[in-house]
Amino acid sequence: MDDPIRTREFLDRLEQGDKIEATDWMPSEYRDLLIKQIHMHGISEIMGAYPEKEWVPKAPTIRRKLALNAKVQDEIGHGQMLLRLAEDLSRPYGRGREALMDDVIAGRVKFHNVFHMSAPTWADAGVIGFLVDGGAIITQAMLLDSSYAPYARMLKRIVAEESFHMQHGESVVLALAEGTDAQRNMLQEAINRWWEPMMFFFGPREMGRGSQRMMEYKIRTLTNEDLRQKFINRYVPRVRALGMSIPDPKLKQDPATGLWEYTDPDWDWFNKMVRDNSGPMSQARIALRRYAHEEQRWVREAVNHATQALAELPGA
Amino acid sequence: MSQGEYPVYEVFGQKDRLAFHTHVGSIRAANPEMALQMAREAFFRRETVVDIWVVPQDAIYSAAQEPAYLPQIGEDKKYRLPSGYDNAPHWKRFKARAMSIEEVAEEMTGKRG
Ligand SMILES: [Fe+2]
Ligand SMILES: [Fe+2]
Repeated sequence: MDDPIRTREFLDRLEQGDKIEATDWMPSEYRDLLIKQIHMHGISEIMGAYPEKEWVPKAPTIRRKLALNAKVQDEIGHGQMLLRLAEDLSRPYGRGREALMDDVIAGRVKFHNVFHMSAPTWADAGVIGFLVDGGAIITQAMLLDSSYAPYARMLKRIVAEESFHMQHGESVVLALAEGTDAQRNMLQEAINRWWEPMMFFFGPREMGRGSQRMMEYKIRTLTNEDLRQKFINRYVPRVRALGMSIPDPKLKQDPATGLWEYTDPDWDWFNKMVRDNSGPMSQARIALRRYAHEEQRWVREAVNHATQALAELPGA
Repeated sequence: MSQGEYPVYEVFGQKDRLAFHTHVGSIRAANPEMALQMAREAFFRRETVVDIWVVPQDAIYSAAQEPAYLPQIGEDKKYRLPSGYDNAPHWKRFKARAMSIEEVAEEMTGKRG
């Protein structure tokens, strides 16, 4: 149990809008919620690179290849930066990068539902940048205000890079929307595939206990439903402007409250997919991560040995 | 180093809680504690900072000594930048407005970036 006096002081600091550093005292619940959130966020960045990486060699022009490759590099970079934060927080538990990555392969850490899905056409690559990055930006922009300073600070950098992802995704989508009937159909089909996963993306209407505690600790400031409403509100008019439809007959904005009514995603199906890694691409992508992490472990070890051996050379 | 010479520490200051630590200069001091005091007196007599870092100079490895470690310059990197994409006229054709990440950040935090 944490010291109640220190916990009280800690909560007072949060109340005053003070920000917390990795080296500050914090209640173990705060630490554990942060580890869970940032670990999952970091791993989602890395797993999020896979659906798009598949399209780098198949992108239609050299410029699109360069841009998509640049975006994939950014996402892996975001994963690295966030895992560093999760590692600093995990120090009392003696868990570093290797352990946090082992968790992906053993299925002990979840990643976002959208990265379990397949991206069968070039339009999917565009719609991922448009809608998935668009949704992620909404969440990450909220976290710029997080009470945990290293997270808020790192997100400033990440959001700056996401600005390119947003423009790149929109550029691909706009090119298809301005294209032939076949291209417009391909775009519509991709939107049809990604809309429901995006409704799931922000989490259940009624938040779980962990998410509620994250709000009380000011790690996050808005509810799942707030975030989803902001997403719908920004993206429905944009999708419709392109002459595309949203695959939800229930979608309707209440003129008085401004709130959107929408069809619930298949909560059970998506929850099970995220929990059991049973989505269409979950296992294939985890296999790639396993290959990178486990089969290349000897390379990491060899570099460590070489560095050590050089340091021990006479005269070093 | 002669007997009375102190080692050099590079000094970094953090302006506010959400800022990154920024290099401001260096000082000599006998140990890290003294270095922190010296840094405060040398660099932060007027500006306030919420944190100071002192780092032994010989712990820093600089890429400028070995240009191969620096990012390539002169290469066209516009495709990596938001400004490399002129989406506004395209959105306009669809009678919609281009959106920027700054306006999303402002909506979500209620603050101007
Ligand atoms: Fe990212
Ligand atoms: Fe992104």
